[in-house]
Amino acid sequence: MSFHPLMEYGAGHHQSARVLPEEGPAFQFTAANLAKLEEICTRYPAERRKSAIIAALYLAQGQQGYITLSAMRAVAAAIRCSTAEVEDIVYFYTMFYTRPMGKHIVMVCRTLSCALAGAERVTETLSKELGLRPGETDANREFSLLEVECLGACDRAPVVGVNDDWHECQQPEAAKALIDGLRAAGAGSLTGCHLKVAGE
Amino acid sequence: MEPILTKYVKQPGGASLDFYMKVGGYEGLRKSLGMTPDQVVDVVKQSGLRGRGGAGFPTGMKWQFVDKKSPKPKYICCNADESEPGTFKDHVLMERNPHLLFEGCLIACHAIGAKVAYIYIRGEFYHVQQVLERELAKARAAGLVGKNIMGTGFDCDIFVHRGAGAYEAGEETALIESLEGKKAQPRLKPPFPAVAGLYDCPTAVNNVETLCNVPFIITEGAEAFAKLGPEKNGGPKLYCISGHVKNPGVYETSMHTTLRELIYDPKFGGGIRGGHQLKCVIPGGSSVPVLLPEQLDIPASFDGVASAGSMLGSAGLIVMDETTCMVWAAQNLLYFYKHESCGKCTPCREGGDWLHKLLMKIERGDGEMRDLDLLLSVANNIAGKTLCAFGDAAATPVLTTIKTFRAEYEAHIREGRCTLPASWRASHPVLAAH
Amino acid sequence: METVTLTIDGKPVTVEKGKSVLEAVIQSGGHVPYYCYHPGLGVDGSCRVCIVKIEKMPKLQTSCSTPCGEGMVVTTNSPEVEAARASVFEFLLVNHPLDCPVCDKGGECPLQDFSYSYGPERSRMAFERRTFDGEGVKADIDFGPTLMLNRNRCILCTRCVRFMKEVDGDAQIGITNRGVHSEISTFEEKGVVSLLSGNLMDVCPVGALTTRDYRFKSRPWDNPNAVDTICTLCEKGCNTTAWIKAKPEWAKGTQLIRTTPRLNEDINSYWMCDIGRFDYHWIEGDRRINQAHMNGNVTSWEDALVSVKDAVDAVGGATHAQFLVSGHASLEELFIIKQFAGNTGGVTFSWRHRVKPQPADTKFKIPAVDAPNLHGAKDLGFNTATSGVANISALQSAVDAGMVKLLYVLDPGPDGTLGDVEWVIAARKAGKIKTLIVQAVLHSALTAAADILLPGCAFVEKDATYTNMTGHVQGAARVITAPGEAVEDWQILSKLSVVFGVNVTYSSSAAVRVAIAQALGANPAYAGLATMTFSRPMSAKSWLQASNPSERWKWDFMFQDLPPIKFGDDFGPTPRANVIPMKEVK
Repeated sequence: MSFHPLMEYGAGHHQSARVLPEEGPAFQFTAANLAKLEEICTRYPAERRKSAIIAALYLAQGQQGYITLSAMRAVAAAIRCSTAEVEDIVYFYTMFYTRPMGKHIVMVCRTLSCALAGAERVTETLSKELGLRPGETDANREFSLLEVECLGACDRAPVVGVNDDWHECQQPEAAKALIDGLRAAGAGSLTGCHLKVAGE
Repeated sequence: MEPILTKYVKQPGGASLDFYMKVGGYEGLRKSLGMTPDQVVDVVKQSGLRGRGGAGFPTGMKWQFVDKKSPKPKYICCNADESEPGTFKDHVLMERNPHLLFEGCLIACHAIGAKVAYIYIRGEFYHVQQVLERELAKARAAGLVGKNIMGTGFDCDIFVHRGAGAYEAGEETALIESLEGKKAQPRLKPPFPAVAGLYDCPTAVNNVETLCNVPFIITEGAEAFAKLGPEKNGGPKLYCISGHVKNPGVYETSMHTTLRELIYDPKFGGGIRGGHQLKCVIPGGSSVPVLLPEQLDIPASFDGVASAGSMLGSAGLIVMDETTCMVWAAQNLLYFYKHESCGKCTPCREGGDWLHKLLMKIERGDGEMRDLDLLLSVANNIAGKTLCAFGDAAATPVLTTIKTFRAEYEAHIREGRCTLPASWRASHPVLAAH
Repeated sequence: METVTLTIDGKPVTVEKGKSVLEAVIQSGGHVPYYCYHPGLGVDGSCRVCIVKIEKMPKLQTSCSTPCGEGMVVTTNSPEVEAARASVFEFLLVNHPLDCPVCDKGGECPLQDFSYSYGPERSRMAFERRTFDGEGVKADIDFGPTLMLNRNRCILCTRCVRFMKEVDGDAQIGITNRGVHSEISTFEEKGVVSLLSGNLMDVCPVGALTTRDYRFKSRPWDNPNAVDTICTLCEKGCNTTAWIKAKPEWAKGTQLIRTTPRLNEDINSYWMCDIGRFDYHWIEGDRRINQAHMNGNVTSWEDALVSVKDAVDAVGGATHAQFLVSGHASLEELFIIKQFAGNTGGVTFSWRHRVKPQPADTKFKIPAVDAPNLHGAKDLGFNTATSGVANISALQSAVDAGMVKLLYVLDPGPDGTLGDVEWVIAARKAGKIKTLIVQAVLHSALTAAADILLPGCAFVEKDATYTNMTGHVQGAARVITAPGEAVEDWQILSKLSVVFGVNVTYSSSAAVRVAIAQALGANPAYAGLATMTFSRPMSAKSWLQASNPSERWKWDFMFQDLPPIKFGDDFGPTPRANVIPMKEVK
């Protein structure tokens, strides 16, 4: 755009300090994910494709673990909206990550009910055990430690989420066992949801 | 009272369609399809069913307000974004009794003339979403959802829409925004969703528990429902009890039950754990004023709790024993509100952060006495001036704890340290995650 | 029109049904502050400063989002409302830097002004302010080719977000993060790339978005005078305001300091494009033609005019002279040409056709034709071939065939407005054109090739009228004086009319307009032409109050008295009829 010669742009004297998401490798939805997205789009009126934006971002995140600029562009193209609108959504909702995360994203609920049951101690123990402060990911991308807000299972506090699975009644003393279990058996070592009924 | 909504939650296989059909499932839908939509709305109105999401607004009225003459499609949005701290009842219902919710959604759709219901489930409930999707597919295969339901010519579909982590999405207009693929930020009212909601079409947004009550009302009648509880507080109610009680959990009972019974009765909370004493209870999720031990002999109904100066809200009782520092508790909740503020309107965006900073200052031991009046003033300045109820919710923990436990704040400030450093709290202040 | 009547502060006010309470307050001359509301954008209701008390409603209501109801009783100035408003101001200022002395918006900033009038006396916020990108100058970052962004100043009213979404049609601006960490952003920090980007500076109620062009050049009190005029850079005819910097003769820099849009609902609403806004530097630039030239040498007007007559005589009379007229010629100029057009070889119109890159569903379409008066030329009976693209092939082949001995070019527009002129220069060099006479404003390759060069006036240097693409006849006013010996173009043509066989004498451009109105009497669009008045430089307060009620409040504060002594000498409140007195808020 050079409608005015006095406005040379791109000299880069005034840089923003905002940390941008990674550009990442060129992103393309897999055929299966694209088909899945199209199926999800059919749940909404045809002119309201934007409703599927969260679903599209979940698919993108599932595909490469986190959301890159390249993935945002792919989502914008698939949803037919502007890239800025995609970025808005990515940053607004807490479950989208713009940085590479560990294989196990350990999320400790820190809100009142869990805190009353010792969630702060759980975070401390996990933090010591993993050598990570909340919000950090270890170097070999095995674990990320996060504090999250109320997960809606306050009767089994403190609750720890690992990726999409949950682990409940997690006392500080048992936190080490949780990490060991994850290292050994992955998500299979988790207690799962609190209403697992005997006999199912 | 015999549980109605949660009767089979501990039953192996209780969530399945087969089991649900065995115990009389979808009979409410069958019966309602024989009624006109207006009749359905009337029955629900007569039952006095009040919204279980927090505000306690009469459900029948909400459905009646939906602009049925509009040529646009109508929508039911089921609010399954259960994020209020201390609340986990919808979680149980959806996971263990999904078909009850589907049935409620379908009846609601029939009542307002909708062809589609969206269940907006919070992103963290991934495992619940899996249950819903699985059972939805079965219901669809059985001809209970989709085209020509039960051969009556009634078409109605249900879709599960997963959120991605935003407390604000529980506000009905923010939920609609999020469903439209935008940020979960509240809309201006008017227009109300009943006139212009999802996709600018007439919409009713109902809580999971609310919709789960509907099949019972249809099958058993408005009167049977109403007489389960006190006047204007009819029907079964789910209570979520968490915190320092012996038996935390979800309990279904009538709204005759008092708060004291809920906390101390062995059938429910079973008393304070570890031989401790009750200090206070937040009776309706984190957004309502605290009640003291002497205020508990009131029915845990919408009107009963309101008469004690608090609110039933989402019926999430957070029980705290005498080891709990109220400055710490307020700080914990304000961190939540600051973190979850959508940032749309000024008082909540700027004020929530300010309140949290002030509480942190006192919690760290740097507080000054004048900070207490400042806290009250800032909280009062937020309350009532925001776009949605979030501002009031964020101000409440500060206002109520200072009002009730001012001496504790003053001791905190005077001594420059926490006067109640409980053993279950962190040895060092935990670093903020975000 | 259906109306409703409500009571605002005890006064009955009748407004159109469907208007909001805030619009009713503005219409009735009341004072309620606002930030997220903008009359040209959708209602957002997020800033919360326009809260008022409405009887029968338990809470205070945002007036921007409450539709007027019959019999509504509104209070905008009770102690309750004032205290509530002050508290919202305190929140707005909790994280806003107090860098007004170095902020471009300072002096015309609604946040500054309203905080004085409605805000609390002092802030009780003792914590460090939230900052993005650093503090001070560092916080100013690139925001596309035309804008700079300072996120620390932003109050998140989202006017810019809504402008891009609703008007521009390409939602380039978003808000990343949430709650107190929300920040205005663009994808990859690329900034806004749009031909409407300048409007973002207008809609921004604080100094968060400023234009590169105007930054640090002037302060509001340096340019207290402004003129209502129109933009003539394309056929849209946006209504604008030209701002004049008051500066001594010897000071560097230009007088014309910026152009801002002016409300005209039929034409440009509240907006204008960046071309009109930023492309004005040529007017006072180094390339202006200040004097008449002959064969590249400066000459006097007398000699130049005589030589035109000689040149016409030399080629054998006016019938051998062809006119090449740019679409920038005003109605006055064209009307004079029209009178002798029959005696000459003919008149050909030329203009530039540029399709502007814009989103498909933009609400503000910039036309491709860069000529303000093609519609006027057609109305005057010229054949302008209004298919969008100029058709000069007949003239070109005539020149090629050596049939055009003398070519008279009239182009009062900026560079390139005549479209491609290389062929004219080539033809002159090849001798196919014997004499090339150019009446223009800017030195260019074409003027360098001219035998006789006559200095005309740019659109801001003469009172002239233009008919835009939709048939609106509008006047562009004289904002500044023409440089050197430049003369208004209609006068040059009038003086030369004898050469072309008609003696046209008018006492003024107004007299020309009277004659045009008579000639085009049948066309109702020209009914007002005879009495058309033009703005003169005057206090910005007066014109903006009259022309744009929605932005009126700025000027209540800015120009409440000049010279700018805002609060008298005791810094106490100075009661004045139309100034909101400062009040202590308890």
